[in-house]
Amino acid sequence: MARTNVKFSIFKYTMLLLVAIFVLYPVYYMITLSFRNQGSLWSNPTLLPASDSTLENFKAAFASVEFRKSIYNSLVVCSSATILAIVFGVMAAYALTVLNFKGRDTMGRVIIIAFLTPGALLFIPFAVIMANLSLSNSLRGLVLVYLSFTVPLSTYLLLGFFKSLPPELEQAARIDGANRLQALWYVLVPLVAPGLISVAIITFTGAYNELLYSLVINVSPEVRTVPVAILNLSVADEVPWGRTMAYSSIAAIPIMAIYFLGQRFVVEGLQTGSVKG
Amino acid sequence: MSVTGMEKATKAKRVKKSRRRGGIFDPTSILGYCMMLPAMAVLLMFFAYPLGFEIWSSLTNMTLGNDAKFIGLENYRYLFSDPEFLTAAKNSFIYVTIVQMGKFVLGLGIAILLHQKMVARGFWRAVVLVPYAMPGFVAFLIWKLIYNPDIGSLNIILTKLGLIDAPISFLGDRDWAMPSVIFSTIWRGFPFWAIMFLAALQAVPKELYEAAAVDGANAWQRFKNISLPGIRPVVLVVFLISTINTINSFEAIWLTTAGGPSDATVILPIFAYKGLTTFQIGQSAAAALSLVPIAIIFTFFILRRMKKD
Repeated sequence: MARTNVKFSIFKYTMLLLVAIFVLYPVYYMITLSFRNQGSLWSNPTLLPASDSTLENFKAAFASVEFRKSIYNSLVVCSSATILAIVFGVMAAYALTVLNFKGRDTMGRVIIIAFLTPGALLFIPFAVIMANLSLSNSLRGLVLVYLSFTVPLSTYLLLGFFKSLPPELEQAARIDGANRLQALWYVLVPLVAPGLISVAIITFTGAYNELLYSLVINVSPEVRTVPVAILNLSVADEVPWGRTMAYSSIAAIPIMAIYFLGQRFVVEGLQTGSVKG
Repeated sequence: MSVTGMEKATKAKRVKKSRRRGGIFDPTSILGYCMMLPAMAVLLMFFAYPLGFEIWSSLTNMTLGNDAKFIGLENYRYLFSDPEFLTAAKNSFIYVTIVQMGKFVLGLGIAILLHQKMVARGFWRAVVLVPYAMPGFVAFLIWKLIYNPDIGSLNIILTKLGLIDAPISFLGDRDWAMPSVIFSTIWRGFPFWAIMFLAALQAVPKELYEAAAVDGANAWQRFKNISLPGIRPVVLVVFLISTINTINSFEAIWLTTAGGPSDATVILPIFAYKGLTTFQIGQSAAAALSLVPIAIIFTFFILRRMKKD
């Protein structure tokens, strides 16, 4: 019995190690490549950090006005889309779980349908409509378009959190003299606070990672978001790999850090969304 | 004294009111509509209206700058005789099916692995989350580099191991391109499944396993009869959400092969995007709308599932 346990342990940790290599290798590769300059990639193809590593790519990235602008654009667009989505989402999720009114189920269904609609479905009308409204090539326009998926996403996730609260809480608060809005603000919102954090992280990263809409709607350099700016480093099929990986590291590492700091909340949010929602 | 009395009276009134249901002008209903207003307004303007616009434009010969003329189902008729569209539809189907099978197997396997007793489970779980935490556009750029025939590490490794004589152009070769993009899509997407399955496994009551062990069930029987039924509802929801996301994977392909070589990895979103870049709005709207039947089928299933719960 003990021998099989030891064998099983060895097997288990070997598998874990393999999984870790499989998962972490691309990250390692991105970081090592970000220190290489383009020429030496061909003359010295190596898997290990190269002896001719240089900070050149990072210097170029931070010196690039366009890249700094794209980071600013992404932060503005994604935080606006996230904050609005959370405010609208809390209101809608509250109404759909606590209040009883005609048409409630239909509205809930509309939210879920919108949540499940692939974004690739709507980029064509968005491109035309935004151009007609003179909102393409503007941060405002991109925020509006992003609301089309951040609002259903946050509402859907928050529905799970609101459903997990016992309904007696709200009733008890109102029997103690609070009106509906007070009960929502002082009792329910604090209780779903962990949910708000997880929804904020999931929604913000979702918007930050979005490529198709910003590719279609925001093309001029001063309104580009981070992914579009990184893609524009390449000229035709020529990809400056060292620089692309350095820019990618700068774009990815803060987002991944947020994810891991909030890991507990993210996992909880995903679970609540898909299990209870 | 009188204040508490009044409070009691209003309380009683309020409780009575809240029990009354149905009327649109009921205070509760009015509050409900006000609370739903922002979300519904967003969906009306940025979901329903674009969708309606798309359906209408798919029935016209709209191109950029030209007035649209109604041409009925002409775009659809054209699409279904267009070999590239048919290839895109076929590729989409193959891509989504294999990616989802891969994510399921890898996700379940790793969830079971993480479910075992181990040192620092939180750390391993965090490691597994890495591909999911990484922005997709970064992940797929890295994979494009890994697959690169001249400088990519996959070819370097395979050559050093003596497995290949000449470098393989993973993304440039018709036979390799689809398997390669499928593999990188699985890499990026499996953590969601693994984490969900792990949570579901952890939610299965331990007593069930103990009771089964007492009754003499072996590990496989316990897995088949306790674990699998326990995680079934989660599998279903994860499957639906993830499938919709995979149908939608634009960047997984656009950033690696851009649909090439020739049309080997063109899937529907790529096809529609290419149509838009040539300003064929009506036609590409029709192509994008061909995603709808698939989305509807999945939405229908998820709604039915939720009703049952």
